[in-house]
Amino acid sequence: MSSSRDQFVCQVIANVPLCREHFKLVVRTRQFPPTFPGQFVQIACRPVDPQADTAQHELTWDDNALPRVSDPELAQRSTLLRRPFSLAGRRDTADGVELDIIHRVVGVGTAWLAELKTGDPISLIGPLGNRFRLPAEDGVAILVGGGVGIPPMIYLGSQLAGRKAVAFSGALTRDLLPLQITNAAPPADAVSASPLYNVEPFASFGIPTVISTDDGSYGYRGFITQALEKYLDRSFTTPHARSRAIVYTCGPEPMMKRVAEIAHARDIECQVAVERAMACGMGTCQSCCIRVKKPDPAAPPLPGQDWCYRLACTDGPVFKSTELLW
Amino acid sequence: MTCSGTCGYANEYADFMDLSRLGAFVTKSITLEERPGNNPTRIVETRAGMLNAIGLANVGLKRFLEEKVPRLRQMPCPVIVNVAGHSYDDYTQTCAAMNGLDVVAAVELNVSCPNVKDGLTFGTHPARLRELTAEVKKVLPNKPLIVKLSPNVEDITQTARAAVDGGADILSLVNTFTAMAIDIEKRRPRLANVTGGLSGPAIKPIAVHLVSRVYRSVAKHAGVPIIGMGGIQYWQDAVEFILAGATGIGIGTALFVDPATPNKIVDGLTAYLERHKIDRLTDLVGALELPGDEPKKTPYP
Repeated sequence: MSSSRDQFVCQVIANVPLCREHFKLVVRTRQFPPTFPGQFVQIACRPVDPQADTAQHELTWDDNALPRVSDPELAQRSTLLRRPFSLAGRRDTADGVELDIIHRVVGVGTAWLAELKTGDPISLIGPLGNRFRLPAEDGVAILVGGGVGIPPMIYLGSQLAGRKAVAFSGALTRDLLPLQITNAAPPADAVSASPLYNVEPFASFGIPTVISTDDGSYGYRGFITQALEKYLDRSFTTPHARSRAIVYTCGPEPMMKRVAEIAHARDIECQVAVERAMACGMGTCQSCCIRVKKPDPAAPPLPGQDWCYRLACTDGPVFKSTELLW
Repeated sequence: MTCSGTCGYANEYADFMDLSRLGAFVTKSITLEERPGNNPTRIVETRAGMLNAIGLANVGLKRFLEEKVPRLRQMPCPVIVNVAGHSYDDYTQTCAAMNGLDVVAAVELNVSCPNVKDGLTFGTHPARLRELTAEVKKVLPNKPLIVKLSPNVEDITQTARAAVDGGADILSLVNTFTAMAIDIEKRRPRLANVTGGLSGPAIKPIAVHLVSRVYRSVAKHAGVPIIGMGGIQYWQDAVEFILAGATGIGIGTALFVDPATPNKIVDGLTAYLERHKIDRLTDLVGALELPGDEPKKTPYP
């Protein structure tokens, strides 16, 4: 197994729609370094470039035809920079390492990803970034994901190894939820927001789930933060219970801010996976900065200032909610 | 070579490329004082390009010497330190500190910053650029001085001439083009800084043209080598810059897409030389034939 991060050309082994606009892309590579929930990969959302090889590049000129100018730069709108995607799962098999990437089609890059067929090559760089810190063996993990913030929660859920956990997943509406709701149980009670074992893949990890939709098309009608608040006040009533819980969150920033507030108000630790536009993902371009509090204002960087920028790519994407200034 | 600002301070890309095969590594810009950089959003992708306004976020001279120089000593290739400033004193103090550092093979001046005193950019006013170059040269007698030219000028040969007159040993060009992108839904600039520097394949043809102009008008006669940069992604791009007059090649934005780009370009150039039966890459420098040129002993068979 390769031990260090690198650039890998992987093979697509599945690319299936999960719901409206969301796809689950599964890629395989012979080897891949160890990965952890919270980490991400940088994907080149464009054909694996033949010119990037050392072989000389020549246009092929078929009989009775003009040479085909297939360079995407000339032929179509395409991406230049890679796009960061959190890992939604990993399996080590006899044929290699399989990585799950769940994405929503929002632009040129993700539209290209959605068109990938089984067998297509795809270039990714990784694994990048830090990871979620797991709760103690007897602790409780509360996974709060919104929209495309749900995928890293799936990977985290798969790695909790018998720890107690509960998932909260929110979306605008039912068909924008990248999860499978099995009909084994009725929809979650719209008032009490009770976790149920009817949402895959969380149920297969032994994790019950609360679903919320803004329009009430499934589960709790309203924001996932409201469902979370009700649940915490019902189930974590003692300081001891709260001290053993960790809230993990990823999703739209207003949602994550509210989740952090809810956790903070109850003295529950909260770890946040932030999303930032980034060029490199490797700590060089300095574009994915986020403001954090400095524990010691006199210490570098910028002595005398009580905040500094950290990079989502190498210092994050996971931060303690208490250090973020957002 | 790598281009300043796209490859970190030292070995950030060690996992992704063979640093020992670089002609030189160029650090991100170092300023006298530490700088947090601009507010986000700091980058935007544009078609075949990237717009950035990082704001010279860097650790400053003191921490650079303490934290980064020890790491630079471990680098398996020559190291060039890029220096930026907002006054003559900023530049001269930072460059003076580089003069005695054995690990520094050369200094590159980023002159695309405004002078805090009057807001005028050093690199776009020939007289001021000549003066800055001369001042820096005085405090940097032991190191080759590279001046990185801004393309945001009416006539780049004037600033190139000014840098050479001021004592520049090498010219590097081009820095990014000042540009803007607009969020049409919010009717606001997409960068917090409003404008940014455009880089990537989008600027390559303009950069090739500017290298060609500077080579023919200034650098060739002055015997000053050019480091060509601007949108280089493949070895074919590098060949264009070399034919236009570049002796060295800088890879910037392409590193974000594929950090192994410099290694691949070296392989591609090697194969190109073999295919054309050329012994040395320097034989190709400026070998571009323009209409009206004397026919040369070009490597054509």
